[in-house]
Amino acid sequence: MTQATGTPLGAFDATDAPSMDGLRACVHCGICLPQCPTYRVLGEEMDSPRGRVYLMRAAAENRIGLTPTMARHLDLCLGCRACETACPSGVPFGQLLEATRGQMERRGIAAPGRDRSTLRFLLDVFPHPARLGAMLHGLRMYQWSGMQALVRGFGLLAPFKKLQAMEALLPPVPAPTAPLPEVIAPRGPRRGRAGLLLGCAQRFFYPDVNADTARLLSAAGYEVVTPRSQECCGALHLHAGHVDELRAMARRLIPLFRDVDVVVANAAGCGSALKEYAHWLPDDAARLFSERVRDVSEVLAGCDLPLRPLRETVTYHDACHLAHGQRVRAEPRELLRRIPGLTLVDLPDSELCCGSAGVYNLLEPEMAGELGRRKIARIRETGARVVAAGNPGCLMQIRQHCRAQGLAVEVVHPVTLLARALEER
Amino acid sequence: MALPSHILRALEGIVGPGGLVVSPEGLLTYECDMHTFYKGAPDAVTLPQSAGQVAEIVRLCRHEHVPIVPRGSGTGLIGGAMAPVGGVMVSMTRMNRILELDWENRCATVEPGLINLWLSQATRERGYFFAPDPSSQMVSSIGGNASTNAGGPHCLKYGITVNHVLGLEVVTGAGELVRLGGKTHERPGYDLTGVMVGAEGTLGLVTSVTVRLTHVPEGVKTILASFSTIEDASETVSAIIRAGIIPAALEMLDEVVIRAIEEGIGAGYPKGAGAVLLIELDGPVAEIEAQSGPIEAICREHLALEIRVAKSEAERALLWKGRKEAAGVFGRLTPNWLLQDAVVPRSKLPAIMRELQDIGARHRVVIANVFHAGDGNLHPLICYDDRVPGELERAKQANDDLLHACLRLGGSVTGEHGVGLDKSQSLPLQFAPADLNFMARLRRVFDPDSIMNPGKLLPSHPACGEGFRPAARPLPAGTWI
Amino acid sequence: MAVSAPALHDALADIAGREHVLREPAALAAHAIDAMRPAAVVCPANAEEVGRVLALCAAERLAVVVRGRGSSLALGNPPRRLDVVLELSRLAAVRDYVPEDMVATVEAGVTLGALAAHLAPQRQMLALDPPNGDGRSVGGVLATNASGPLRFRYGTGRDLLLGARFVQADGALTWGGARVVKSVTGYDVPKLLVGSLGTLGVIVEATLRLHPQPPATRSWWLGFPTHDRARAFLAALLDSPLQPDRAALIDAGGLRRAGLPADPFAFLLSIGSVAEAVADQGQALERLALAHGGRSQGLAESAWTTLGQVLNGPILLRLACEPRRLLERMAGAQAMAGRLGVEAAVVAQPGHGVAWIALSGSPAPAQVVREVTQLRRALEPEGGSLVLERAPSGLKAEAEAWGDINPEILRIMKRLKSEFDPGDLLAPGRFVGRL
Repeated sequence: MTQATGTPLGAFDATDAPSMDGLRACVHCGICLPQCPTYRVLGEEMDSPRGRVYLMRAAAENRIGLTPTMARHLDLCLGCRACETACPSGVPFGQLLEATRGQMERRGIAAPGRDRSTLRFLLDVFPHPARLGAMLHGLRMYQWSGMQALVRGFGLLAPFKKLQAMEALLPPVPAPTAPLPEVIAPRGPRRGRAGLLLGCAQRFFYPDVNADTARLLSAAGYEVVTPRSQECCGALHLHAGHVDELRAMARRLIPLFRDVDVVVANAAGCGSALKEYAHWLPDDAARLFSERVRDVSEVLAGCDLPLRPLRETVTYHDACHLAHGQRVRAEPRELLRRIPGLTLVDLPDSELCCGSAGVYNLLEPEMAGELGRRKIARIRETGARVVAAGNPGCLMQIRQHCRAQGLAVEVVHPVTLLARALEER
Repeated sequence: MALPSHILRALEGIVGPGGLVVSPEGLLTYECDMHTFYKGAPDAVTLPQSAGQVAEIVRLCRHEHVPIVPRGSGTGLIGGAMAPVGGVMVSMTRMNRILELDWENRCATVEPGLINLWLSQATRERGYFFAPDPSSQMVSSIGGNASTNAGGPHCLKYGITVNHVLGLEVVTGAGELVRLGGKTHERPGYDLTGVMVGAEGTLGLVTSVTVRLTHVPEGVKTILASFSTIEDASETVSAIIRAGIIPAALEMLDEVVIRAIEEGIGAGYPKGAGAVLLIELDGPVAEIEAQSGPIEAICREHLALEIRVAKSEAERALLWKGRKEAAGVFGRLTPNWLLQDAVVPRSKLPAIMRELQDIGARHRVVIANVFHAGDGNLHPLICYDDRVPGELERAKQANDDLLHACLRLGGSVTGEHGVGLDKSQSLPLQFAPADLNFMARLRRVFDPDSIMNPGKLLPSHPACGEGFRPAARPLPAGTWI
Repeated sequence: MAVSAPALHDALADIAGREHVLREPAALAAHAIDAMRPAAVVCPANAEEVGRVLALCAAERLAVVVRGRGSSLALGNPPRRLDVVLELSRLAAVRDYVPEDMVATVEAGVTLGALAAHLAPQRQMLALDPPNGDGRSVGGVLATNASGPLRFRYGTGRDLLLGARFVQADGALTWGGARVVKSVTGYDVPKLLVGSLGTLGVIVEATLRLHPQPPATRSWWLGFPTHDRARAFLAALLDSPLQPDRAALIDAGGLRRAGLPADPFAFLLSIGSVAEAVADQGQALERLALAHGGRSQGLAESAWTTLGQVLNGPILLRLACEPRRLLERMAGAQAMAGRLGVEAAVVAQPGHGVAWIALSGSPAPAQVVREVTQLRRALEPEGGSLVLERAPSGLKAEAEAWGDINPEILRIMKRLKSEFDPGDLLAPGRFVGRL
């Protein structure tokens, strides 16, 4: 909810201000507190959803201004939206956060020590596949040449905390693969036309996930269309409050998917942002687009897939933007349970953020690290050999922390398991 | 009013820089609990991690004549966890571990910041749970529950928090770190544990709690009975108690609340009913089977429109989620509210509900009801909008009338929420000067320098003497409602 | 005592009436407490007269000990001073009883038997059944926190007293608590009064929480051959969904006195509920006993009353320990009796870790003191205690009735006592720490 342009709201100016109704919906009951990862770690009111809403409301009521300290507490917020799931009053926390971040960003209010340059760098690289591809080529060399082994082995990056955190997250960068065909025919009777969103991190770090997604959709009877010229969906920009940049990217993306029945995302963060295009671009094209967006698990859950047995003990981690952002929890589990021979064990606190939260783990390594450690402890307790999660960020974060904690589990996207089990005739 | 730097330095020395909040933004978030009507920011917030640190904080504050305000999860409804005259807030949220689960003695020792529900979650597998179940249990802390002697829907059968507390470790207002009670159920001497429970942080800060664990019942049956009027539902409640049946829980919700719950949570309550009763029986299967027939018959005798029995644990859980999260959906009903917690004798329930409707009509305010009908513990939610001139005044009038009506019927000011700031001025309606004076002197025994949670629980009243005013800081005029 | 005895008698007579003041030496001797004779015994008619009596005593600095029906006067250290015995037997009215609310307000002198008779027609009860309870006053039972087998399910006076009217040491009539089942309005003053032996205030009226009498009830005797089997059965019982309302765990000595089959250990249990549930749970109970190597038989309702007499005798100890160690401590008590060359009868409250030990005969006082001290020391680490509920005065004086209290806690208790009885007039010296 935003008031696009109108009267200023206390310390907020009139452009994309957070909604006063949204702020007032909070009754201060605190039910969100135990669900908030940063509150669980810090136990402080101002790093809880209730406290953050209170600060935003205080700013809207002119009790305080938008300050660097407030920015700090908002920076620490993962944007996981577990609070929205818990909130009985329907406070639209995610949108309030994004609106407030947007205002602060635009007016240059930042927490002292905030790493704006890293964020800016990431936001500038991701929307441009060419730039991202080039950077990754360099990183691939770094890995293949043995430099990474040297750097990691001798802890050469230790004095550069941020850089070290980024480096640690780096999964093996795959060799460039041939791009997916623009159109893939369905197998069997045609169910419809699905447009596949390639994503940024996904297409470069986990191209196999995209390939598997396409295979599964095709097996389910969809004609799979992969628009070549698609770029970034703008999720990272939105979550950082760069609303105008989001709008620009959305306007470039929407027309590419004009002729499909369903727009399929396999990265939770992307899917969530796409479903919210209608909120930030109040026009029909955006609305019609958002209405057609589905996560791959939602699409496949409604289809019959021929599956061979796959004997594995798997536990499922809920990516925040899938569980809380899109309220998709049952479908991925249901799909995994369909695989014969697969044992799905419950992961306690499965909905608690792993610490990835987009690029949060690059900007707030300490908090992200603590959450990563806690997630691995929960995974270890299940005794599972495989962890499945529907978001590339989660995969990177969980993989990195498993390695750090010496836990040998395979970390994969659910579609990878489904594709493995897929019976191909 | 900022604290002098030497005190801040000393506090930082005790809890470390990471355990001290002094920024204006941070302090602002601690200025109220769930009852946002009462706001008062502390001058500093400390987040200790051990009883030793708590004791040092209290001793420092006593020495410096600085008031102390304890805080758990900040979900209270009485303006308890806020600092009307500033001072040091002590937040127990980082002391949230289960210290010991003693299966042989069937008790648990926990830190005060532990969330109530988390204890039951940790013990359920072994067939035990922590019985006091306030509606806030998914977020309220056990220390907070002990400090307010919290109730909840199932206290009808199982009793309130004090009936389940075996011992407390506390730091008194005099700075003494003492262990009251313990695992043994019998102890010579005065029942200091019993007095400390429900003392709302005015006698001491709780640093650990030893509680009884209760065996999970063999069976449970949850019945939802809907009625066209509150009258019919109230008569049903009286009749059930009269028949000598004590359910495990007996809750009433009216149509205003049902609408909000269904909108916000979608828990399966029947929209269009004037009132519903959520009745739960638990215990040996043979017993609940034999009791549910008579209960259903009583409901039918009192014109129940529909009687539904939850068919699965999931359905039951959803019905309770609707009930327990009702506080959260208040936001959908009304921008602002006043909430009462008065109790009437059970036999007077139909009468008070009639009176309540009259009061609402008389003052032109909507009064929503979701409460523990089985104990006569009302929770009338008086709705108003602070942006509309005159509504707050009418709401306050209705609040007053209602309280007086409850007391006239032989009831009590507060059943389970506690007194805090919200109800302290109402105590003289229930207690004579000699009674108030006794309580004030009791307080001074534990808090000789009057630093513990000033302004709470006891009223500004001559009978309470100078005792409860903090030594060096006079109360600002007009603070009280 | 500064005032002369005749003057005191006259002053008391002005308050309560001549016929309600005892002054004859024989009568005073009969009302002695731990061989200490009072100067006067007064029986006021109501709370207001009680207030005036205490105001008089406060003005003249007279030490007062309160008496209900006199059944627990042995509890406590010998008083440091004793001038007046204040008897409350005439405060015998049921003030208010609303069956629908399941709450009753009674004056302190009402006996449990009289109250039970009053409630029975409505099929309700006060869930307090201390030994020989029928003749005991409500005020006395509360002031001593006495309890019986019903404690298993319903707790003690602490859990049943909702509100109390009491008279402070200066004569001020005061109210604490509430008249309804749920109230957290102000401090829980009734909690402070229960078990306080009248040292902070004199209870004149109590508002009590009642319970429905179960539609059907049956009782069982369950005997076990060894301490281990009894312990295992108890653990299984507590872990089961069975809901007995009365429970007692008795040793062979106690069983013999009760005229019941004297297995080494036996549980007396009763189940009160709807008839189907009673039958159902009863069968489960019998099966459970069998599964743990025990045997069961039906128990007559009257057995519960006779149980009260088991603990009669010159010496009665109350032991409290961690619930899990109850059987161990019971065995220890029997060993102690053996060493003292006396017979013991032990009746315990399972699940709560409390046991009453009645010793017969006349054991050598010095030896008893030694044993008591040793056992108290052994109980200390778990926060347990050993109280001499009844013993010859000489023994109580030497062993101290209550045992040691943690010094820091005693300090707080002392502050309470000084605050509310600055003149040290209410049962001085009788309570813990000789407060």
